[in-house]
Amino acid sequence: METNTLNKLSLFVEDLHEASLAPQPLIDAAKEYLLGQDLPTTKSERFKYTRLAKLANANFTDPSKTSNSVEKPLAPIEDAYLLIINHEEVILPQDLPKGVDICLIQDSPVAWHEAAFKDVFGALNTLHAQMGLSICIRRNTVLDKPLQIVHAHNGGKQFFRHHLQFEQNSEAQIYFVSQSMEGSVSFAHTHFQFDIAKDARIKIFKIQDTSSGHFHFTEDRAKQAEGSHFQINTLTLDGSFVRNDSQVQIQGEHAQTYLNGAYWLKDDQHLANYTTIDHQVPNCESFETYKGVAADKAVGVFNGKVFVRKDAQKTNAYQSNANVLLSEDASINSKPELEIYADDVKCSHGSTTGQLDENALFYLRARGLSESAAKNLLLQAFMEDVLTYIPNEDLLKFIHHRIGQRFNWVY
Amino acid sequence: MIKIENLHASINGKEILKGLNLTVNAGEVHAIMGPNGAGKSTLASVLAGREDYEITAGSVTFFDKDLLELSTEDRAREGLFLAFQYPVEIPGVSNVNFLRTAINEKRAYHGQEPISAKDFMAMVREKSALVELDSKLSTRSVNEGFSGGEKKRNEIFQMAMLEPKLSVLDETDSGLDIDALRIVSHGVNALKTAENASIVITHYQRLLDYIVPDVVHVLYDGRIVKSGPKELALELEERGYDWIKESL
Repeated sequence: METNTLNKLSLFVEDLHEASLAPQPLIDAAKEYLLGQDLPTTKSERFKYTRLAKLANANFTDPSKTSNSVEKPLAPIEDAYLLIINHEEVILPQDLPKGVDICLIQDSPVAWHEAAFKDVFGALNTLHAQMGLSICIRRNTVLDKPLQIVHAHNGGKQFFRHHLQFEQNSEAQIYFVSQSMEGSVSFAHTHFQFDIAKDARIKIFKIQDTSSGHFHFTEDRAKQAEGSHFQINTLTLDGSFVRNDSQVQIQGEHAQTYLNGAYWLKDDQHLANYTTIDHQVPNCESFETYKGVAADKAVGVFNGKVFVRKDAQKTNAYQSNANVLLSEDASINSKPELEIYADDVKCSHGSTTGQLDENALFYLRARGLSESAAKNLLLQAFMEDVLTYIPNEDLLKFIHHRIGQRFNWVY
Repeated sequence: MIKIENLHASINGKEILKGLNLTVNAGEVHAIMGPNGAGKSTLASVLAGREDYEITAGSVTFFDKDLLELSTEDRAREGLFLAFQYPVEIPGVSNVNFLRTAINEKRAYHGQEPISAKDFMAMVREKSALVELDSKLSTRSVNEGFSGGEKKRNEIFQMAMLEPKLSVLDETDSGLDIDALRIVSHGVNALKTAENASIVITHYQRLLDYIVPDVVHVLYDGRIVKSGPKELALELEERGYDWIKESL
């Protein structure tokens, strides 16, 4: 194949410099993967509903010319260990408890062990990530309050890489909050590596509250050992362009996995959630619930894969994606995929996309509720079960506040 | 209170109400009986403002307002209440939360302050006792997992909370055992005053043993074809509807 050195991908990476923090074999693998590649088009299955023209043509804000948003980030959770990060600096909390080690990814030799690229952005991350955290929760450590990591995006094209290691029997809740400066144009691709050891109980929350003009890509790669409980909750509150790709490999028996997503889309927002749960061993359970509403011309994509390998007998895997469309121009593309190679398993999946129940709407209006109040109640009720996974009152309040603001809902 | 004149309504091009006339005054209870397909539930739906129906002719005056010009919610706020034949289950929406919203929207419509939490809860206790509705049910999701009888009691509970001027009870007796029927009827009777009125739509005479009507109407083929005192209901029970059809 002829390589056009001026293709869109080359132009996109032109002004990026190689950080080269990764080990050499990984750098080589990434370079090999990128050979002859271009920015994906809608012809590729993974980008079928995602147009990257806007990204290719974007005029990114120079981050050195914007005010430093690290100084005043919005941290929704009051009682938490607060970390603040942007492309060039990290502010760590003074009061980190025993059993928690945090350093920069630059200083962590164990943080790189993923070379299975799913798209060009994953490979680019390996070459260009220059900032990130390596967090270790030590054996038997139970965090008394959550870690809250506020990520402020203020321009440019940035790749981040976080490595989180949860040792045996540890317990933690970690909240990643992504924000971007209103009016700036920026791109961020963040790779998360989660290593969850035996019997660890871990809840991850990704609170995506970026502005229009920010292109937000995230990649989760998790490996779970025996008896561990692991949860990723992806909450997309705002942002004109968001793509999430979560992958969990269940490698030890009696592990439990929860992948949840909630999204509220309007205007011309684009959100794509790709998930993969890979049951490699017997006697594990996974539960996946993605729910959202789409108004105006918003586009949502859900692609959920569940693999149950030949040895993974007695697997219990449940997946559902439910959507409510609030306008004729909004669309949701939902594709559940199950690949089951074991014969003694319980798996179910379901996908629904529809309007609000007309009978319920009429019932509420017949009691005197205005149409908007009735819709408001029904939509809140619709989203309720996926929000029950949020154990933190502050976060729940923050979500209600933001969604109330954006959709004129009264909570 | 309400005056229905020459009301014609159709759904999907099929005419169901074909010139219905009915006047109900304050303090009165009117029963509407009739065979299946006569248009009983259509009348209830049209009064409440269900948009599936097209009004092709006629008028409905509620006090001094043109009812057909009002939205469903404004009809409710003006004091019209429909007890549904099939109350809708609404998972995730709590009964009391939605009722508080309903009451406050009605109060706002009439330029009144929102009800205080204390007054509201006192009202919930009093009115749920009236229909022997378990107080746990009042805080649960609207009708979700309720038995048939509980759903109907919940309708009357909501009616008690909203204090309507005109209640339309659409086949409230359907699916009720005798105990539930007694409780529901007791609720309706207790709420009766000289200022409000009810239209009780039913297929069977049984309900009218408990809720005694001032007038009984026979609805047949989209029109009221016969009206009489409460004894008419007994006659219908005994003789069926055929003699009415024949006398037309």
